[in-house]
Amino acid sequence: MPKIKPEDLNKIAERMRRQTLLREGAGRAKVTVHMGTCGISAGARKIMSTLLTLFEEQNVEDVILTTSGCAGLCSREPMMTVEIKDHTPVKYADLDEDKTRKIFHDHIIGGKIVTDYALGKGSERIS
Amino acid sequence: MIKKTDQKVGAVLVVGAGVGGMQASLDLAEAGYNVYLVEKGPSIGGVMAQLDKTFPTNDCAMCTLAPRMVDCGGHLNIEKLTYSEVESIEGEAGNFRIRVRKKPRFINEDKCTGCGTCTTNCPVLNIAHFEDVDELGKVQLKEEDRQIFQQILSQHDINRESIIAVLQDINNRYRYLPDDILRHVAAALNVPLSLVYSLATFYNAFSLVPRGKYVIRVCMGTACHVQGGHQILQGLERMLNVPVGGTTEDMNFSLEEVRCLGCCGLAPVITINEDLYGSVTQAKLPKILKRYREEEVSVGIASEGVSDAKD
Amino acid sequence: MMPDEVIQKEANKAYRAHLLICAGTGCVSNRAFKVRDALVEEIQKRGLSDEVQVIATGCQGFCAQGPIMIFQPDGIFYQMLTEENISHLVEEHLVKGRPVPKLMYIPSVDEPPIPKLEDIDFFNKQRLLVLRNRGLLDPEKIDEYIARDGYQALAKALTTMTPEQIIDEVKSSGLRGRGGAGFPTGQKWAIARKSPGDEKYIICNADEGDPGAFMDRSIIESDPHSVLEGMTIGAFAIGAAHGYIYIREEYPLAMKRLHIAIDQARDYGLLGEDILGTGFNFDVSVHRGAGAFVCGEETSLIGSLEGRTPEPRIRPPFPAQSGVWEKPTNINNVETWANVPVIINRGSAWYTSLGTETSKGTKVFSVVGKVNNTGLVEVPMGTTLREIVYDIGGGIPGGKRFKAVQTGGPSGGCIPESKIDLPIDFERLTEAGSIMGSGGLIVMDEETCMVDVARYFLDFLRGESCGKCTTCREGIAAMHDIVADICNGEGKIEDIELLKDLSEAVRDASLCALGGTAPNPVLSTLQYFRDEYDAHINEKKCPAGVCRALISFRIDPEKCNGCFLCNKQCPEKVIHGKPKEPQIIDQEGCIKCGVCRESCKFGAVIVE
Repeated sequence: MPKIKPEDLNKIAERMRRQTLLREGAGRAKVTVHMGTCGISAGARKIMSTLLTLFEEQNVEDVILTTSGCAGLCSREPMMTVEIKDHTPVKYADLDEDKTRKIFHDHIIGGKIVTDYALGKGSERIS
Repeated sequence: MIKKTDQKVGAVLVVGAGVGGMQASLDLAEAGYNVYLVEKGPSIGGVMAQLDKTFPTNDCAMCTLAPRMVDCGGHLNIEKLTYSEVESIEGEAGNFRIRVRKKPRFINEDKCTGCGTCTTNCPVLNIAHFEDVDELGKVQLKEEDRQIFQQILSQHDINRESIIAVLQDINNRYRYLPDDILRHVAAALNVPLSLVYSLATFYNAFSLVPRGKYVIRVCMGTACHVQGGHQILQGLERMLNVPVGGTTEDMNFSLEEVRCLGCCGLAPVITINEDLYGSVTQAKLPKILKRYREEEVSVGIASEGVSDAKD
Repeated sequence: MMPDEVIQKEANKAYRAHLLICAGTGCVSNRAFKVRDALVEEIQKRGLSDEVQVIATGCQGFCAQGPIMIFQPDGIFYQMLTEENISHLVEEHLVKGRPVPKLMYIPSVDEPPIPKLEDIDFFNKQRLLVLRNRGLLDPEKIDEYIARDGYQALAKALTTMTPEQIIDEVKSSGLRGRGGAGFPTGQKWAIARKSPGDEKYIICNADEGDPGAFMDRSIIESDPHSVLEGMTIGAFAIGAAHGYIYIREEYPLAMKRLHIAIDQARDYGLLGEDILGTGFNFDVSVHRGAGAFVCGEETSLIGSLEGRTPEPRIRPPFPAQSGVWEKPTNINNVETWANVPVIINRGSAWYTSLGTETSKGTKVFSVVGKVNNTGLVEVPMGTTLREIVYDIGGGIPGGKRFKAVQTGGPSGGCIPESKIDLPIDFERLTEAGSIMGSGGLIVMDEETCMVDVARYFLDFLRGESCGKCTTCREGIAAMHDIVADICNGEGKIEDIELLKDLSEAVRDASLCALGGTAPNPVLSTLQYFRDEYDAHINEKKCPAGVCRALISFRIDPEKCNGCFLCNKQCPEKVIHGKPKEPQIIDQEGCIKCGVCRESCKFGAVIVE
């Protein structure tokens, strides 16, 4: 194996960045897919794998993708919450793969809320 | 001509600077006589310096001897003639003429401070005749042992630096250091057998007697001590009916102390070969031992450690 | 260039969760590898392998709760995992997204579980420099270390700094040796650099001998590259081309990870010839110790490396002038080396903002003994003992009374309750009659007998004295016999004076620090716990109920419900009584092994 040079250290670090950020629990944005029993049966797993593929394809590294339990609104599943740092979280409902793709491009990458699919702004929790 | 005289004052010659000679010299010197202390060896002290305890009181030999050596060494009335031998004595009480042959020592005694640097720097390792390297290498090993030994040796550089690593590998393979193989170590690495033995007896990891199939090591670290590690050790002594350092008759278990295993968070800790058990209590011991009495247990930290901590 | 296809793919793969399971020695002995295997299997079974990654990290420090696991990115801390509860955990948290409270850390019975790592007092009161990567990376993968700024300090040092600048930086950081004596590291390097000779060596002392200290093992297990990086920087500063790592044979896991790390660093050209293309050559070799406490002393360690009998020798010449093979040699402890990359990366000004006037930076302590949260903690110098024992350590188990903290291993001393607000640094500990040592903090409660502790250390040192100096070999043995007599109730009041006399002789007339500091445990316990010595000598009583000759076991008939457990367990069969009735111990045959007390679930066995 060829020996590395100082600048290669940064390349390796860059390559490993996704892992580092995830482990520190730090990121620019957080996407939560609601995966309660109802969410899963409505197709939340599909949404999750779509997102994971998109993240890989687009080389997104600073967004944390996670899951949570049932969001309480079972009839509108699958759902996800997109929370850009220092902004109010936005909940999306009745998702499918295409909608997910659009939300990914417009909101997660672009920062523009896709109002057509949005269920509402804010979180029901007091934080 | 030597004349007889009644006035018996002046100097006294003491031959031999063992503990007796030194005490005599000291008494005489204190009484005001000038003493010549002749010693054949290169240092005063004699045989007692080589002993550990003395009969019948079991007093520490060095504790008895050392103060006398220091006093003799520094006494202004005692002139020490070491590495010297008496050649002839003429005359009679009160008027002796004595020839003492002082052997060459190749250093300037007035300038030497005894720092010891020359000893450590000397490029020649003095190998005693009974440790003749060729002789040591002639000790017959069983074919199996010879192969194992060659295999271990092939993994290391052949120099003095490798000696501990070689001994460790032998110790890991046999669970002790067989005497015959130690002789071959000395021969192969070209070091004195005495050095091999001094290392083999210095380190806690080595044993010169065969050890059991499973070596139980009880951690004697501070954390284990305050959490009752000593009671675990005594419990094991009772259960196995062997003292610390001993091996059961069936050669299944050896019981040893270890200084600290660095698993203080799980104190008290014992290891059996490579398996580590944390938070041990006396009540758990029979169950742990049973496992090794009955079956072959796979060992190796890479596989796993078995623990009863959650029982 | 180098990016190797597989690594590239692996690194680029997105996961939604990382499960960081601790694989330090402590957790491994609690079946961490079995738990990991069960976890991987369960994840596969549920088809989550593409979404979730399981990583075995080095020691995370919270050894008492092992095996432990951190669930990222949520930051949930799970503890005391077993193979049985893995299926439930995967179902709940990974499939349904509901964290499992019953596997979380519970500070005490009446408090709710704490889900997040950063909310647990044990973790959030710490400040991690040396242990900066613990639990965050797989110690067997060099890329993960590089991802966390690994080897950046080396690149900086080799490409932008001169050896003198590095030494100056380390000097102004105020870094002091973490092995015990606290000698300024920069100064040590400067002496080695100035010593004439073109062949020089450096040594990493990983012969962690102090009983009760295990930070060196943990650092090597969790972050071996930080030590290698520190050593390479040090070698460049001093002008050495070869380094030795002297590690205890008792640490097989650390040794394995160290070898893996060295191989990987060589593959990347971070060890060997022409490091990072700068023309600097440096390599290391690993030497296994064989279990001798005195080998922690630098001149003995050198002797052991050379294959001589490891006896200390007179200094000067110091190893910096004449060490291995009579060449200038610089020896530092594992923790010291691991500090070096941080100093070079972040600068000495930043480093000096931590710590006290004379002691800068942080120190790793192993907090063990009679304390709730045993484990490894890293705090800034100047943190008080109270913070360590109560805030981080969670206090004394079972509501018992705190008695003392023993620091510094066999060379250290015991610090009593009255000094619990002492801010810890090198000077304050010395003033209190102890030393910093390698950082073992053994907490003792009212059931620890201080005379017995003194006897324990003397016994340790008696066994570990190399025997070269008469005062150390015979003096410590004599002191041990006196203290053992006191423990056996055969002590005389004159013994105390004799102990003090002997202490002076042993301290003054021994060559190395082993003998020189050997009387510390006796002197400090005499200073602070004289009443316990008096009780042993005058009243023939052991107030803590430890010394066997002076205690007896009795069963409280009020509390005993006759469960018969002690009766069954007693090895001498001297507990009599009928089932369901209070039991009685026959004092005649009792060997005071304490099994009955240990096994009683009702606290009915009393020590008197």
